[in-house]
Amino acid sequence: MLKKSIWYSILTIACVGFIVLSLGFYQAISVTTAVNPQPLAKAPLTQTPEISSKLSSQTTNFFKMLILGDSIAKGTGDEKNKGFSGYLPEYFKNYTSKEILIDNAGIDGLESIGLLEQLQSHKLDKTIADSNFILVSIGGNDVKSILSLNDLAKEEQFTVRQDSYQSNLKQTLQVLRTINPNAIIIFLGLYNPYEKVTSPEDTSLLNTWNYNTQQLVEDDGKGIFIPTYDLLKYNLGKYIAQDGLHPNSAGYQALSNRISQAVGTIITGS
Amino acid sequence: MKLFRLIENEVIKMISKKRLMFVLAILIVLISVFAYGQNQSLTRTKAQLSQRMGITATADWRKLADQQLIDMKNRLDSPYLDEKTQSSLRVRMEQLQYNLDNNINPLAQSAAKFTTTFMEQSIFLFLPLLIIMLAADMVSGESSSGTIKLLLVRNVPRWKILLSKYLTLVILEVIVVCSAFALSAIISGFFFGFGGWLAPVATGFKVLAGKLDATGVHNVPQWQYSLMVYSLALYVAIVVGSISLMISILVKSTAASIGIIMSSLVAGNFLSYFLSDWKITRYMFMVNLRLTDYLAGSFQPIDGMTLLFSITVLFGWAIAAIIISFVYFTKQDILV
Repeated sequence: MLKKSIWYSILTIACVGFIVLSLGFYQAISVTTAVNPQPLAKAPLTQTPEISSKLSSQTTNFFKMLILGDSIAKGTGDEKNKGFSGYLPEYFKNYTSKEILIDNAGIDGLESIGLLEQLQSHKLDKTIADSNFILVSIGGNDVKSILSLNDLAKEEQFTVRQDSYQSNLKQTLQVLRTINPNAIIIFLGLYNPYEKVTSPEDTSLLNTWNYNTQQLVEDDGKGIFIPTYDLLKYNLGKYIAQDGLHPNSAGYQALSNRISQAVGTIITGS
Repeated sequence: MKLFRLIENEVIKMISKKRLMFVLAILIVLISVFAYGQNQSLTRTKAQLSQRMGITATADWRKLADQQLIDMKNRLDSPYLDEKTQSSLRVRMEQLQYNLDNNINPLAQSAAKFTTTFMEQSIFLFLPLLIIMLAADMVSGESSSGTIKLLLVRNVPRWKILLSKYLTLVILEVIVVCSAFALSAIISGFFFGFGGWLAPVATGFKVLAGKLDATGVHNVPQWQYSLMVYSLALYVAIVVGSISLMISILVKSTAASIGIIMSSLVAGNFLSYFLSDWKITRYMFMVNLRLTDYLAGSFQPIDGMTLLFSITVLFGWAIAAIIISFVYFTKQDILV
């Protein structure tokens, strides 16, 4: 009798389970094969046309700046949501009465190859040609992933990454120069956001990276390399955002201040 | 004799052989161990994170989440984003918003998450092994103990006997998958709390031209995702069961049949690793067992494989196994 009841309960569970799971199976197939169910939700409003219309109305009373690169260029981490696009015009006011118009094409997580592809897509050509200044922040994402490797692999990977990064950067600068031979290219160096995981080896790698980048940028003739490592080294608590990686509002202000000081005379002179 | 009575007889046989009990016991022990281990590593991760990013970042996760949400909104407004990144961003934002609205720390584990992950990790090896335990001696066991004679001298066609064995196997497979679900939901509930079934999970990845296409990605509730994972698991269980049954019939020795199917399963795991550029490997059943990877959008081992492809290949194997089983079982001479 007991066996009979076990048999019936097993049969019931099996039948119910089978039906439920078949429904799930059908769903699983439809979810992976169905035609894209998501309509393109509200096309994001772009700011670019606004700026370019402003451009045509005023003639020489402004500077144009284009910001290129990764999340730092974008302004990620700023709790006030301004980033370089917000602070640089404020700091530039100390040096000029002209207006600063900023175009920000930064993309979170961009690596040097991505930047090169972005430029080679020619979508930005017109903006590049119009710019007086081009601020570039790139390389952080190229180098970030090797931090977790062991020392031996790290050394090796570093060389590989740096080589590809350098060649990408070289080409990037070439592209920029063919479109706009006159703009000042401001290049941001890398810093170390991890205060607790700094070994001398890591620091040395970071310095090598920055040094080689600086060489490249200076070769350009109209480029300037702005170090960030020194500014942030003892100020991580003050300048780094909650996410432990990007600068916060104060950090972006400090960097903007440094940039404006570095190119201040050029602004005043022109 | 009616088929129904035959199945009943088979099921009772399986229960009195305590095979099902063994399987359930293994499930209970392993799930408890995994849940305990998950709990441990979770505390360790939290400690590491707070060491690296400062105590505030982990204790006060809402701030960080708010920040991330703002960043992602900004990113979404950028005109330079392609559509693929946009939809995965939107999905991430929905998840974060849910976490914020319901006050769930994204780092925290939940019974629902654990239950899903458990099956995702067992679908290609552990679950098949459990099924083999049930299936491998259904026929060969009777050959070696000699009871097959008693079974076959009755006035029942042979195909009916095999069919009853096969359907019994299917019933037990459903029971195993369902109890794996129930047990892991309950046991992990004691560690992580019983909630989490409504949390959004991203799915809807497609493989287009060898690349993962995230344009169709959207969120489904965790329970629905779990259901999909477990139904794919049942499908895998049925396929592996059919193949084991075939081998069990062909080989006649239980030890040999368990050995053959187990080694082919284990081989499948590194086959896809070593021979990934050898096209023919993708038609082997062991390489196609990781069906849940397609839901989660983890990359597929061999180029050109999709969920539908894998399901079709597995279906082909199962059908072939069933046909061979029936033909061989009804034609063979049984000498005991």
